[in-house]
Amino acid sequence: MQAAARFGFARLLGKYAVVSNSIPAADQAVNLAPADAEVHRARARVLNRLQMTGEARKSFEIATSLRYRDDLLWLELGSTREELSDRTAALAAFDQAVRWAPYYAHPLWQRGNLKLRMGQYEDGLADLRGAAASKNSLVPNLIDLAWGLSRGDVKSVEQLINNDHDRLAFAQFLARKGKGEESLQQTRLLVSPLSTQNRLELVQQLIAAKAFAPAFEPWRTDQTVKPPVILNGGFEQPISAWVDTGFGWYIFPKPEPKIVRDESAKLSGAASLLIGFLSGEWRAPSETIVQMIVVEPEKRYRISFGVRTKALVTGGPPVVVVKDAGDNQRLGESEAFKTPSSDWQTMSFEFSTKPATQAIVLEFARVANDCTPCPIFGELWLDDFVIEDVTTVNSQR
Amino acid sequence: MNLKRRNGPRAIAALLLLFSIAQIGLQVGLAEPTVTTAIPITPQAVGRLTTRNNQPIQVNGLSATTGASILSGATIETGADQSATINLGPLGTVDIAPNTKLVLTFDDQRNFKATVAFGCVKVNARTNATGEIATDQGSLGKTDPATGGQLEMRFQPGSTPAVGQGVCADAGAGAVVTDPAGAGAAGGGGLFGLGVPATVAIIGAGTAVALTPVFAFQDNPSGPNP
Repeated sequence: MQAAARFGFARLLGKYAVVSNSIPAADQAVNLAPADAEVHRARARVLNRLQMTGEARKSFEIATSLRYRDDLLWLELGSTREELSDRTAALAAFDQAVRWAPYYAHPLWQRGNLKLRMGQYEDGLADLRGAAASKNSLVPNLIDLAWGLSRGDVKSVEQLINNDHDRLAFAQFLARKGKGEESLQQTRLLVSPLSTQNRLELVQQLIAAKAFAPAFEPWRTDQTVKPPVILNGGFEQPISAWVDTGFGWYIFPKPEPKIVRDESAKLSGAASLLIGFLSGEWRAPSETIVQMIVVEPEKRYRISFGVRTKALVTGGPPVVVVKDAGDNQRLGESEAFKTPSSDWQTMSFEFSTKPATQAIVLEFARVANDCTPCPIFGELWLDDFVIEDVTTVNSQR
Repeated sequence: MNLKRRNGPRAIAALLLLFSIAQIGLQVGLAEPTVTTAIPITPQAVGRLTTRNNQPIQVNGLSATTGASILSGATIETGADQSATINLGPLGTVDIAPNTKLVLTFDDQRNFKATVAFGCVKVNARTNATGEIATDQGSLGKTDPATGGQLEMRFQPGSTPAVGQGVCADAGAGAVVTDPAGAGAAGGGGLFGLGVPATVAIIGAGTAVALTPVFAFQDNPSGPNP
């Protein structure tokens, strides 16, 4: 009974020592239960925190001698030895950790990292690979390390790929790096097709890295759709409001203006898009409805569309604007929409892409002027958006 | 016993032997080819991450804890309650405070640089190494390789960077406790100088433990299988 109390009290003191970084408490814990590995570990942790690494090492060594099958203790000892720049001894400790937990990720991961720092790249990567095989969440870290070590060599990193899970992680890694084509190449090597969720995640990652043209590839489900194209330009299909899938129309979530698909008015087909300004407010006009379109650099394009207005009253009439998706620079815009009312008319405008342009953003905006505040009332309808490559027809830059 | 009956077991044994050999051959044939990881890697310096209390931080946008390798060009980011130290061996160390983001570059010529996007960073360069602190606007200082030294900076975008000893004093940079409560202290009163409230708590809890049966403690926490 007394021995048990002594043992329990020592443990409690050890825990207290760690919480309060108290060496006296840690020492007393060790005095009370010198054969308990846990109190030596507690003492070592306190000493480590206080940068008394040499003493910490001794305590960890005692702890491992008392409980030699504890892989976590060996890892802590190895880590402490490396802090003391004794990498050979650190490796010996990590070897023990791997020995006592050979199927777990953490000892292999720690040993692999140490081996990399020791310049044992092949062995180190083999350990890291073993760890990642045991714990999938380490795959991105493995890829990141291999990428850095190989100075960004796709072929080298590819050697570490074992299965679809790893390959998808590599494709996503490449996407985040803006390596669009390389990322797509990896997706083509997948044995199982990409799930919708993974496909759309990849699209978002590619877009975030400004790899717009490669992003369009996994986005499109219909392989006959080829850029440049304005998707659902006639608003014949429903628009998923507030859902940004990367391409296609995106309607920003805000209360004004009212944006609905309208089957009662159309230039052609079965419907058009109605935009109604009921309250007079129109904040951040360029964030109303947009579509990103993949284009080619140094080309000339024409965008045409149908527009109809009804009782549209404002000092800053709406326009359709095209911006470079890469740097947000305005490349062209339509004439201002007719106010207050007009029947359906087709408007068009041309613009040239820059050497670095991969995609454009088509925006519904308003003419730039000093109209502040600038209320707007009335309704308008849009229909039949089309983009054409007119480079050979009109090479004007 | 006729000849046929006497040779029967031998024939069976021979067949079994053949079958066994065939199995070995089949196993060898079906074994997956050994995949090598012989990636051509140029020898390079690799740093070591230590995080306070082994809390994960972000390295290149991925979660990383103590023991992770840090390569030149890594983007390192700490959150509100996270701090870290990067040990670059013979070059020195970089202490990173909470809420800090930086890009760490280093080379084999014993140069290392912390380009800080925001937060607080302390660079400790050893002799014969050159440590540098910078923002994306340019360098803010270098250490002298003849003497080594320390550089400290605090920076928030939109403000002028503060450089000098002590500017990170209250930021908690690094993975190590620098002002431990009760470290080596005696004189706080109570048991072992721990202070009266702590002593009361410990005695109370100690009594509770004393009345609790001692359980067998596992000596291999990871067990035989994952």
